[in-house]
Amino acid sequence: MASFRDTALHFVRTRPDASQRGASFQRFLDTGLPSASEEVWRYAPLEDLDLDGFALATEPRAEALGPVAAALAPLASRTIHLVDGFVVDEGRPTEGVDVVVDAVDPEGALEAYASDAFALLNNALTPGVVTVTVRAGVALEAPIVIAAGAGSAASFPRVRVVLERGARAVLVEVYEGGSGSLVDVVGEYEVGPDAHLALVAYQRLDHRSWHVARTSARLASDARLSHAVVGLGARYDRSRNDATLEGRGAENVLRTTFFGAGDQVHDFRTRQFHVAAHTRSTLLSKGAVADQSRSIYTGLIEIEHGARKTDARQTNHNLLLSPSAHADSVPNLEIRENDVVCAHASSVGPLDELQLWYLESRGVPRPEAQRLMIRGFFLEMLDALPRVVADLLTADVDASLGALEVVA
Amino acid sequence: MSVLTIQGLRVAVAGREVVQGFDLTMRSGEVHVIMGPNGSGKSTLALALAGHPGYQVVGGTAEIDGVSLLDQSPTGRVRTGLFLALQQPLEVPGVLLRDVLRAAGADGEDLAARIQDEAKRVDLRPALVERFLNVDLSGGERKRAEVVQFGVLRPAFGLFDEVDSGLDVDSLGAVARRLAAATHEWHCGVLVITHFQRLLQELTPTTIHVMRAGRIVAHGGPELAATLEREGYEPFATASE
Repeated sequence: MASFRDTALHFVRTRPDASQRGASFQRFLDTGLPSASEEVWRYAPLEDLDLDGFALATEPRAEALGPVAAALAPLASRTIHLVDGFVVDEGRPTEGVDVVVDAVDPEGALEAYASDAFALLNNALTPGVVTVTVRAGVALEAPIVIAAGAGSAASFPRVRVVLERGARAVLVEVYEGGSGSLVDVVGEYEVGPDAHLALVAYQRLDHRSWHVARTSARLASDARLSHAVVGLGARYDRSRNDATLEGRGAENVLRTTFFGAGDQVHDFRTRQFHVAAHTRSTLLSKGAVADQSRSIYTGLIEIEHGARKTDARQTNHNLLLSPSAHADSVPNLEIRENDVVCAHASSVGPLDELQLWYLESRGVPRPEAQRLMIRGFFLEMLDALPRVVADLLTADVDASLGALEVVA
Repeated sequence: MSVLTIQGLRVAVAGREVVQGFDLTMRSGEVHVIMGPNGSGKSTLALALAGHPGYQVVGGTAEIDGVSLLDQSPTGRVRTGLFLALQQPLEVPGVLLRDVLRAAGADGEDLAARIQDEAKRVDLRPALVERFLNVDLSGGERKRAEVVQFGVLRPAFGLFDEVDSGLDVDSLGAVARRLAAATHEWHCGVLVITHFQRLLQELTPTTIHVMRAGRIVAHGGPELAATLEREGYEPFATASE
């Protein structure tokens, strides 16, 4: 069997933009995969990641929508179906929305991801950038769904969403399926002046897969990005979500929710970068870890000199559902401006024993009481999802919690 | 007809024995009252019977119709028939009263209607039982929310720990009438812990027990409440005091 490197090089050479892809792939080869000795990858089980163990997805495969996407599709204005990162169905045309598959930005991509091995791989190996543009002033009633299915291969989905001035949209990305696959995602979001994007990234790959996602958002003046990241699946679930608040009055609300069982690792990183004055960011991260799973939350709020009247808040709560589970919380602040409000809070702990007893003493069996409380813990996150998808995704999360075992 | 029998019950809190040989027998449809000074062990008794993790039963028995409560989980105890309405009900954010009662076995399509009906009976605004369990409820509202749970779950025996404290006169009357009605509606045995005679104006006791220093030191009929109100607990000093 050919090595991953050889297959990848062959794939790169056959693409029209081979030289751009080649440059990123060469950069990747120069540095290789990161190791757990690097601080930002400290908790990743990278010693178990062998690229040669994966086939490379080099062409589209016929596959039905996954169960979550199939349930969402009837609610959607448009469902764009990806299999292993390849667009297999662009969905029905929608007034005011353009969907095209672009080449990776030849100028910026290598530069932007020069030190991120997984993003470099995506630069080189993505089938193309699924680019969704919502035109100026267009307000979409129903959500756009990007249904990303995975098989057993290494795949490199890439999404770019542009909301022009004053546009309004709800966009739901669903990553599901997988069978010991590597799903390496890059997402880029440009929210134009006075545009509002409600974005949901819902990941429930199988528990043997690797999910490594990196998203970057840029917000213009008075733009609003309300971003929910839900991680249920994958053996290793890495989700880095950055936002740059470039325009005055921009607002970013980021809610990350994860639930770990077995030996899953959820590794969430965020960076809210306030460049312009009068910008706001609110970050709420809530996760639960059961069995031997672990979670890491590392959040950075960075405030540039001159970003006066910035209001940035970061909250991280973690629920430990077994003595072998582990959660780390690392909030960081980097502030180069005085006239700001900045706050962070975090907690790590088990379910409250007295609240549990109280529910039991009403007649609720203990496992049921635990589930009610865990669900209650996540409720504010699920309630904040865009209305149109909240019920469906909540029911799906409930089903995941149903299988849960809490060890006191 | 059921019988609740508590014999020689001893309970320790943080290594100190607070209940020191408590005895009580009551039947379905009866109203028993436990009165006693602060620190006499009334709440300790109640919490231990409900299996609170901070309270350790170190001796004695508690049974309903011969089925031991103390060997069972808190869930098993209430399902066997002893429900405790807490003196200080806990807040549980994110968890709805309706979901708790359904998980506690109160199923049926009319559950929401039953909750509303019970709320009305104790003068609790309907919106309050739609909230997360006890979150943002006042002390008096929480007490009545406990009575709502009781009314929906219909246990064989209800134990009410100072259900009257924090209630205004009107609510107090409504709660007393609700408990009295339960003794007829499903022949519930009602055991109340209280400091005040007022609750008993509309809830006629079968027996009043006086508790001091962890055990019953006297009992009598409804007239005993008036005596206690007049003379206090001093005449009922225990031998050890």
